Amino acid sequence: MDKVRRSLLIGGASSLALPILAAPFSSLNAAPLKYNLKAQRIANNSYVVIGKTEDYSPENGGDIVNVAFIDTSDGVVLIDTGSSRRYGEALKELIYKTTGKDVIRVYNTHFHPDHCLGNQLFDKKKIAALPQTIKGLKESGEDFSSNLYRILGDWMRGTEVIIPERAINYSSEKFGKHRFEMLPFKGHTDADLAILDHETGVLYAGDICFLDRAATTPHADLEKWHKSLKEIKKIPHKIIIPGHGPADTTSRSIDQTDTYLTWLEENLTKSVKSGKDMIEAAQMPIPEKFQSIDVIKLEIERSVAHLYPKFEEKSLPFLGQGEN
Amino acid sequence: MSKKEAKSNFSKFKQFSCATLLTVALSIPVASISVSAAETSIAIPKDSLNSVMWDFMAKEHLLTDKNSKKIVMNSQILVHTPKVAEDQLNLPVHVDARSVKNAQKIVVIADLNPIPKVLTYEPKQAEARLSFRIKVGQATPIRAAVLDKDGVWHVGGTYVDASGGGCSQPAVAYGNDDWVKRLAEIRGQIWRKPGQEATRLRFSIRHPMDTGLADGIPAFFIEKLEFKGAKGNLLGNLYISEPLSENPTVTLFPILKEATTAVNIKGRDNEGNLIDVAVPAPFQSSALEN
Repeated sequence: MDKVRRSLLIGGASSLALPILAAPFSSLNAAPLKYNLKAQRIANNSYVVIGKTEDYSPENGGDIVNVAFIDTSDGVVLIDTGSSRRYGEALKELIYKTTGKDVIRVYNTHFHPDHCLGNQLFDKKKIAALPQTIKGLKESGEDFSSNLYRILGDWMRGTEVIIPERAINYSSEKFGKHRFEMLPFKGHTDADLAILDHETGVLYAGDICFLDRAATTPHADLEKWHKSLKEIKKIPHKIIIPGHGPADTTSRSIDQTDTYLTWLEENLTKSVKSGKDMIEAAQMPIPEKFQSIDVIKLEIERSVAHLYPKFEEKSLPFLGQGEN
Repeated sequence: MSKKEAKSNFSKFKQFSCATLLTVALSIPVASISVSAAETSIAIPKDSLNSVMWDFMAKEHLLTDKNSKKIVMNSQILVHTPKVAEDQLNLPVHVDARSVKNAQKIVVIADLNPIPKVLTYEPKQAEARLSFRIKVGQATPIRAAVLDKDGVWHVGGTYVDASGGGCSQPAVAYGNDDWVKRLAEIRGQIWRKPGQEATRLRFSIRHPMDTGLADGIPAFFIEKLEFKGAKGNLLGNLYISEPLSENPTVTLFPILKEATTAVNIKGRDNEGNLIDVAVPAPFQSSALEN
């Protein structure tokens, strides 16, 4: 049967290929795959590159994440590297244009591909991450990368997964006048690094905080995430740079992420208790206060896929066990 | 032709002479060829999803049913899934075929899965709809074909994008030491709404549902589940294939009389492990809880 399947597929593929080849090369093919990265100054010597608050698409090339760099007298400290080799190149160019210096330290805040597939452009000995992040990237990096090749296509050309070689088992690091405090959290993933720059009071929160862009949950533990948000709120800071969304001067990103996750959890519980299946649960009505959050509908659907089975197991009554 | 049918054909001809017998014996294969020729004489309509596998799927999974008389594409057969499979091991699917009168069976197929057939559901005293989750090996059409009393297959479906590999990964359960101990644990609940005949039954059975396509792990999956009311009345049959998700979680809509206190689920997997459980049905008046 497999043989038949394969031959049918080949037949299908060649008949499909013809009209594509016959079509004139459209503007789609001609679009230059170039990221238009801009550095926004947020504090002394400190810059962010704000990503689009969208999902990955062939249009945005995966420019959907916030990346930050700090110009110290020892060299540039970079927080996260973006989704692809091409992004890393554009970022490196932007850093050099802005500071005229080389990168001496890179942090990967967690193991998700939008935060570390630009690693290739930097010296892996200088890339630091929490031990669980390194482990996660070793295990899942290739899958993440091939999924992004599938979604982003040519934007990903030449991208390889580079594992950070420096495990963060220290509480702070100093470059020039800037002392960077390492703040390991959990909840968005198994290891979420936030970094506080004591010189400027900028708190780089990674994906513990989202702002006006719905939080993502593929590896989330909601209970731990809430706990982390509670702790992060106590840390004195001037500005928060969320993993996704604009720079935040009012701690709104902490509150919004917390309220959203609470609401999500309540609705998943309610759905499971009223007997809804996953498809029905994903149709939950979005309250007014969340209407302005980008990609919320898509992220709710994704979150249902990530979290619903756990809620079902908690809620559906145990009835017995089969004989074996 | 099944073994049983062949045997009964044979006994009909017992009275004939040896020579006739020989002819009959020779004619059996010929007859079976002519049956399949008859099958292909049923026109297969153009696929609304443009799947390269559609003709083959129709021949393999629909026209093999001896009651088949016709196939029609029917947009009233609703197959709900997300556009993209977020988790290729757990793609939620909801099939609603209530628009078909006298639905005899619902066959669910994922054309481009290495094992395309997902399940066959025969609603007896139940609505012609159900939801469940499946594994997907790659982007694929997911379709539901509903056979009515007159032998007409009503086919609807949708296309799901997915990253690869859902069918060839080992079950998540094997990451836990206690999977054997917890094998075939059953959870479930029934919801009733006042004034509505159809109830909602959701259940989940802990099972790895191995496809046999992961290295060194043979196929191991629940094959059949039967649903009965309090008086032994058959509510429905569910024939399951490998692509149903690990720890299958299924929603059905059995029609229960007011006095029904439980639905019995009986079944087995392909290694003979038995499933036998009663899901208590609440009184109709308690339905307002939610």
